[in-house]
Amino acid sequence: MSDTRAAQSHKAKKLIERMSRKLNRQMAGSLAACVHCGMCTEACHYVLTNPDDPTYAPAYKADRIRKIFKRHFDWTGRVLPWWVGAKTVRTDAELEELKDIVFGKCTNCRRCSINCPMGVDYATFNRMARGLLVSVGIMPEGVAVVSKDQWEIGNQMGVLKEEYIDTLEWMSEELSGDMGDPNAVIPIDKMDADIVYSINPREVKYDPRTIADAAKIFYLAGENWTMPSEGWDMTNFGLFSGDDDLGGAVALRLYEKVSELRGRKLVISECGHGYRSTRCEGPNWAAHTVPFEMESSVNTMLRYIKEGRIKVDKTRNDVPVTFHDSCNNARSCGLFEEPRELLNLVVTDFREMVPNRSENYCCTGGGGAMSMSEYTPRRLKSARVKADQLKATGAKIVVTSCHNCVDGLTDLIRHYKLGMDVTQLVNLVANAVVVPEKIAVEKPAESEKPAAVAVEHSLEAFKILVVDDEDDIRLYYTVLLEDNGAKVIQASDGDEALKLAKSEKPDLITLDLNMPGKDGGQVFEQLRKDPELAEIKVCIITGRPELRRLIYDRPVPPPEGFLDKPVDDHALLLNIRKILEVG
Amino acid sequence: MSELLRFSENELQEYALLIMACVYTLRIIWLLHFKAGRERQAPTGQFRTTRARGIVYSWMNIAMPWEMESTRTKAFFYVQFVVFHLGVVAAIGLSFVIPYAPGVLKSGAAVLIFQTVIGLAFLVSLLRLVRRATDKYIRAISSPDDYFSLALLAVWFFFAVFAAPNRPERGEAFLLGFFMLTAFFLIYVPFSKISHYLYYPFTRYYFGKTMGYRGVYPLAKSKQ
Repeated sequence: MSDTRAAQSHKAKKLIERMSRKLNRQMAGSLAACVHCGMCTEACHYVLTNPDDPTYAPAYKADRIRKIFKRHFDWTGRVLPWWVGAKTVRTDAELEELKDIVFGKCTNCRRCSINCPMGVDYATFNRMARGLLVSVGIMPEGVAVVSKDQWEIGNQMGVLKEEYIDTLEWMSEELSGDMGDPNAVIPIDKMDADIVYSINPREVKYDPRTIADAAKIFYLAGENWTMPSEGWDMTNFGLFSGDDDLGGAVALRLYEKVSELRGRKLVISECGHGYRSTRCEGPNWAAHTVPFEMESSVNTMLRYIKEGRIKVDKTRNDVPVTFHDSCNNARSCGLFEEPRELLNLVVTDFREMVPNRSENYCCTGGGGAMSMSEYTPRRLKSARVKADQLKATGAKIVVTSCHNCVDGLTDLIRHYKLGMDVTQLVNLVANAVVVPEKIAVEKPAESEKPAAVAVEHSLEAFKILVVDDEDDIRLYYTVLLEDNGAKVIQASDGDEALKLAKSEKPDLITLDLNMPGKDGGQVFEQLRKDPELAEIKVCIITGRPELRRLIYDRPVPPPEGFLDKPVDDHALLLNIRKILEVG
Repeated sequence: MSELLRFSENELQEYALLIMACVYTLRIIWLLHFKAGRERQAPTGQFRTTRARGIVYSWMNIAMPWEMESTRTKAFFYVQFVVFHLGVVAAIGLSFVIPYAPGVLKSGAAVLIFQTVIGLAFLVSLLRLVRRATDKYIRAISSPDDYFSLALLAVWFFFAVFAAPNRPERGEAFLLGFFMLTAFFLIYVPFSKISHYLYYPFTRYYFGKTMGYRGVYPLAKSKQ
């Protein structure tokens, strides 16, 4: 009895008070029904990679939430708390410990839920616990920053409208050029389209080729389609933060835009959590009945091929590939056969990884883990299970229908040195699609290509200052940029960076934030305030995306680019070329 | 038969059953007072999956060990689970057979079946106690109630094995012990983890409904 009488922090009181409003029958059942049989233990990738630490076991983690439930909502726990392991939370420090578990030791992948004989859905009440902590301001900094961006800017990567439209126009030009048809464009805000296509901001920021590939497929299928100028983000950080209000607001923004455009169907690009949030959870969070159809672009592409609207030649994708099922697609939305059907139509050598479908292991970047840099070492350690799975396939490419998984897999592939590439179905379909002769652009023979084409995307004329305190990262950027023609100079700390900026006047600075001495934020502000250096373009590259706020809140013009580490060759070159307006 | 044994087999059980029924009813009312979640979206997943199919699959899941990885890969543990719960059913059955249909136990075969099933369940309960005390994962999540409930069941099975022949003339100790423990169980169970079987239909119903609607149930297992 004593634990409720002891002093309780304001946040702890609020959390308990709000728990009573969040609980529904499914959650209460799941919280009451666990028999501590331990059958879920080995279902969790964290357990498999931390075999000596029982605190990673799903039932143990669930019990940190269950204890509070029992203490306040279950009669045995109220009367005899010690007997059934019921315990309240009293201090903010205890809430911080809970945060570490619900955000840092679980990706909400739901693998334990489908392995529980009792039907206890731990992932659901773990999300509830996240939401409760967020409601009292306790969350990883990355979650706070991304949530804030999604509330304020309308997308979770802080992509500004101009940047988004610029990218669409750029991709539109590429499409027209590739197809040799000035009418081959990305229609923006077209009314009464049959398909409104929504994307993940990551596509704008790191992977615009997925937008171009999708546009090519829509164009060749003769689709009446459009992309909205606003409310285009189908991702939803509310799923990860457990904040139903954010989830509802984000989903509603998209639904309302589609209705405003009188679109007939909303097609969601390949993103596991985006698909789940928009297609499955959004209407519930927003308490809104959606008046139009919604589907994954995987279904759309498959339908085009089946209906003969596009023709594909699978021999163009002849490298061995494997497929990674996103947890949100497979275990929460039943989307697992369609991607395989599509894959088999566009590749020649598809190899299943084991386990797969509903039993697949998480990419380890799920549940918002990629935005919580404080848990990166833990995440990468737990990724060994996935790495072993990937390695066993012998495939050269891993395909996934989820942007989060793309990042998670890319990171673990680099960490475990697997030498694989990660791609999405849209890229493979676009590569396999047969362009009808009447619109195929005649490609000049190699010898006939003008010399300018060969250097079209070269960085030869540019001087770039790479600033990072880690030697291997500086070396990686330097080699990559020099290979692409740039002249590169390096600085390993803030003071050296400012000195070199003044003496060398580079065209662009890639700037790390976390450095000894003068940090990247201070360097950036000084650069912007110095009239001599203010015009130098800056691309922030940081392993702590949550620090974005510290940069954008400064009273100086924002940087021209902002990238999260780990960054791969493609994303780095793409963004640098974009900033320098090359190609 | 002594008056104490007669009382233990009859009125005591009836009172205990009545208390259990009342507490269970309150438990169900408590659970139902939480609002049920609602799915507003159109169904997802394969066409073969529906809410109803998901619910039935979910309820039957426990009888299909090949369906879940956790049961598929732990055959010995699953057998223990089956034996243990068959023992519970047999011991509960015995508590009704002795007072209401004692003729059944005149058959040596029937007694042997009861004793075998309950005896095996007793052995499993000992194994489970050892596992709970020695497996670091299980120990980390175990509460006093987990140990007590299991130990109590082990003792109950033990008494049930010797009560099964229903021969009070040879001594009433095991019969008295069995019925006293049964009565205690009936009152204690709704407050303990053993009440999980009351929740099972609910948790499985809601999970199956959601997963069926979303095309996840029946589970799509790994294929090579």
